[in-house]
Amino acid sequence: MADVKVKVQPPDADPVEIENRIIELCHQFPHGITDQVIQNEMPHIEAQQRAVAINRLLSMGQLDLLRSNTGLLYRIKDSQNAGPVSFFLSKMKGSDNQEKLVYQIIEDAGNKGIWSRDIRYKSNLPLTEINKILKNLESKKLIKAVKSVAASKKKVYMLYNLQPDRSVTGGAWYSDQDFESEFVEVLNQQCFKFLQTKAETARESKQNPMIQRNSSFASSHEVWKYICELGISKVELSMEDIETILNTLIYDGKVEMTIIAAKEGTVGSVDGHMKLYRAVNPIIPPTGLVRAPCGLCPVFDDCHEGGEISPSNCIYMTEWLEF
Amino acid sequence: MTQAEIKLCSLLLQEHFGEIVEKIGVHLIRTGSQPLRVIAHDTGTSLDQVKKALCVLIQHNLVIYQVHKRGVVEYEAQCSRVLRMLRYPRYIYTAKTLYSDTGELIVEELLLNGKMTMSAVVKKVADRLTETMEDGKTMDYAEVSNTFMRLADTHFVQRCPWVPATENSDPGPLPPAPILVISEKDMYLVPKLSLIGKGKRRRSSDEDATGEPKAKRSKHSTDNKEPIPDDGIYWQANLDRFHQHFRDQAIVSAVANRMDQTSSEIVRTMLRMSEITTPSAAPFTQPLSSNEIFRSLPVGYNISKQVLDQYLTLLADDPLEFVGKSGDSGGGMYVINLHKALGSLATATLESVVQERFGSRCARIFRLVLQKKHLEQKQVEDFAMIPAKEAKDMLYKMLSGNFISLQEIPKTPDHAPSRTFYLYTVNILSAARMLLHRCYKSIANLIERRQFETKENKRLLEKSQRVEAIIASMQATGAEEAQLQEIEEMITAPERQQLETLKRNVNKLDASEIQVDETIFLLESYIESTMKRQ
Repeated sequence: MADVKVKVQPPDADPVEIENRIIELCHQFPHGITDQVIQNEMPHIEAQQRAVAINRLLSMGQLDLLRSNTGLLYRIKDSQNAGPVSFFLSKMKGSDNQEKLVYQIIEDAGNKGIWSRDIRYKSNLPLTEINKILKNLESKKLIKAVKSVAASKKKVYMLYNLQPDRSVTGGAWYSDQDFESEFVEVLNQQCFKFLQTKAETARESKQNPMIQRNSSFASSHEVWKYICELGISKVELSMEDIETILNTLIYDGKVEMTIIAAKEGTVGSVDGHMKLYRAVNPIIPPTGLVRAPCGLCPVFDDCHEGGEISPSNCIYMTEWLEF
Repeated sequence: MTQAEIKLCSLLLQEHFGEIVEKIGVHLIRTGSQPLRVIAHDTGTSLDQVKKALCVLIQHNLVIYQVHKRGVVEYEAQCSRVLRMLRYPRYIYTAKTLYSDTGELIVEELLLNGKMTMSAVVKKVADRLTETMEDGKTMDYAEVSNTFMRLADTHFVQRCPWVPATENSDPGPLPPAPILVISEKDMYLVPKLSLIGKGKRRRSSDEDATGEPKAKRSKHSTDNKEPIPDDGIYWQANLDRFHQHFRDQAIVSAVANRMDQTSSEIVRTMLRMSEITTPSAAPFTQPLSSNEIFRSLPVGYNISKQVLDQYLTLLADDPLEFVGKSGDSGGGMYVINLHKALGSLATATLESVVQERFGSRCARIFRLVLQKKHLEQKQVEDFAMIPAKEAKDMLYKMLSGNFISLQEIPKTPDHAPSRTFYLYTVNILSAARMLLHRCYKSIANLIERRQFETKENKRLLEKSQRVEAIIASMQATGAEEAQLQEIEEMITAPERQQLETLKRNVNKLDASEIQVDETIFLLESYIESTMKRQ
């Protein structure tokens, strides 16, 4: 009896029945079921019928197709998950598969957004199609275009309700794509003044040199707290922002930095070390060459005796001598 | 030798020695080493004059000679030595600060005369000092000799090489040019002279003869007849030692600016202790132990040993890296990193020039590229927090001024510009050389302007000189006040004004030359130190 393989048309070969069974199974296993599980449950259905049922469920948007390392997984789309997509599908049932694909790609890009050329690569669709689809989606208010601060011509697309990432908008230093130089300048000066006064008080305390020097240092955390308390910034600044400002002061030659090892847990330490900053003076006064007019002369290379421009008739020298 | 250097040498030689010497000197600088007849032929001057000019140049150590094979003597000019003539005022001033007026005059005499014997120097300086002293006082030779010996002990003056005394009695045919030798230990050996005497005034009046005019005068004349005791032993100023001193000064003031006065004093002590022991071109001084430093601190500074140790630790940990710790014996061994110090000073000079010429934002970009070595355009904008358009503009300005250079890194073998990385970088050595060249040209311009200003007002200067001479002679013959007034009024008020302006301008230009020379010194020391290390 066991050997006889009887091809019996099972009573529930009805496609709808199959689909319902599959949905029930999915509800049983909310994490997803593999093809194997369905097969076990309904061994009497042929593979083809199974495939048809699953495809229908997918196209209706009731199942999600996922890939895991064991194989393909089918998961029920619950109401939360299905939110935007069901919304989307409810808007355009039976819509273009291409549009769905494009939407999926943009969703995957998260809050960094994705460029139109990258969408083209990922979906292998021609450019004209992509543009049409993107216009469609934009008009339906499902995606939006955000101008990138890096290349002003580039537009990245992301889901409508997401906040753009810092790398796209430039973070605290940019407001509406404009680099705020005055803001940076003001912060620059404030930080420098803070460090300068700290160094002054340390120098006047006249204790032994070690203490004097250590007290003239300020950690980046201290400077950050000071700037926050000053309240000159309408945007919230993080410690990294302050460190970039302090770095510009280092490049101005007004401040020097050392890194010391700090215990984890001391305030302001990052990964076991702290950055300390100190205001310093330049090591030489403005050099001799720039005190003569020749050092700053814009037409230096054209100047020679007997020419149009020569030391004898140099107007810069005449002005400088009259000082 | 670059054009700018040759131009500067020609101006200097002309100002100090005159036309003929200038012609010969510049010719030698341009063409390298040449024998006597070729020089005479190429410059078109008579052999006699060429010989005299060469004598002057050799006396001042500006030209050296060498015997080549087949007995030909070739003369070579030393361009760098000619450029040192700019620095004479600085040398004299240093001698004044270290050894007061006596030292100042000794060094001045040696520099102006090239080479001199000790007795001649002492005599001349004593005479000059006596001029300036009050009536009835004279300068004793012994004092001057003392100062001279101190100068020799600290290596500020050194002996010139001389002809070695040949042992064999039969001299054989004389070589075409004498071969001069000097050994290391003889260089600063002061001969034992007993120079007795006092300085004499130029106008010997009866007052300072102290009652023995005849006897003194006869002694003076017999001195001339007797052979000078140290004939053949000539002395010259040791310029390297002065340079070492300037370098030490620059390092000490840099430390004082960055840290405080006490640290700079400690560094000065360390440098003083290594003056004689370290050769001038060494990258590091000899290691000094903290105990030694404590003992050698100047008397006025009483800081405790502990505090000294703390200062030394601070100096060693400072990001400047001028002082390094090389060991722990004797309370800690410390060295001064001379090469690094010169590098920092040269870099600071470059930064200062960029700042003054292009603005402080450009200086920020410059320092940024210096620190990070190689940067892309985008990275420069991000780190310096300067808007992209301005940053680009500034980078290109500095690029055309040759302070920054581009390094191309191609991604593809065909070096297509769209597929190449362009990195900005600063090459300190080449930037220093470029700036040095600019300094030379600047000084040449300043000298030319000074000469032009003087030439413009030549008529006025001559007139004022004549008037002064007339007044002086009238005063000597005892004229009346009214007559003097009349003569003085020959120079009208606007003319007097003009003279004042001229004097002020000439002084300003002179001072500016010396300031540019300071920059030249820093850059040259750095380039020399880097070339020696390679």
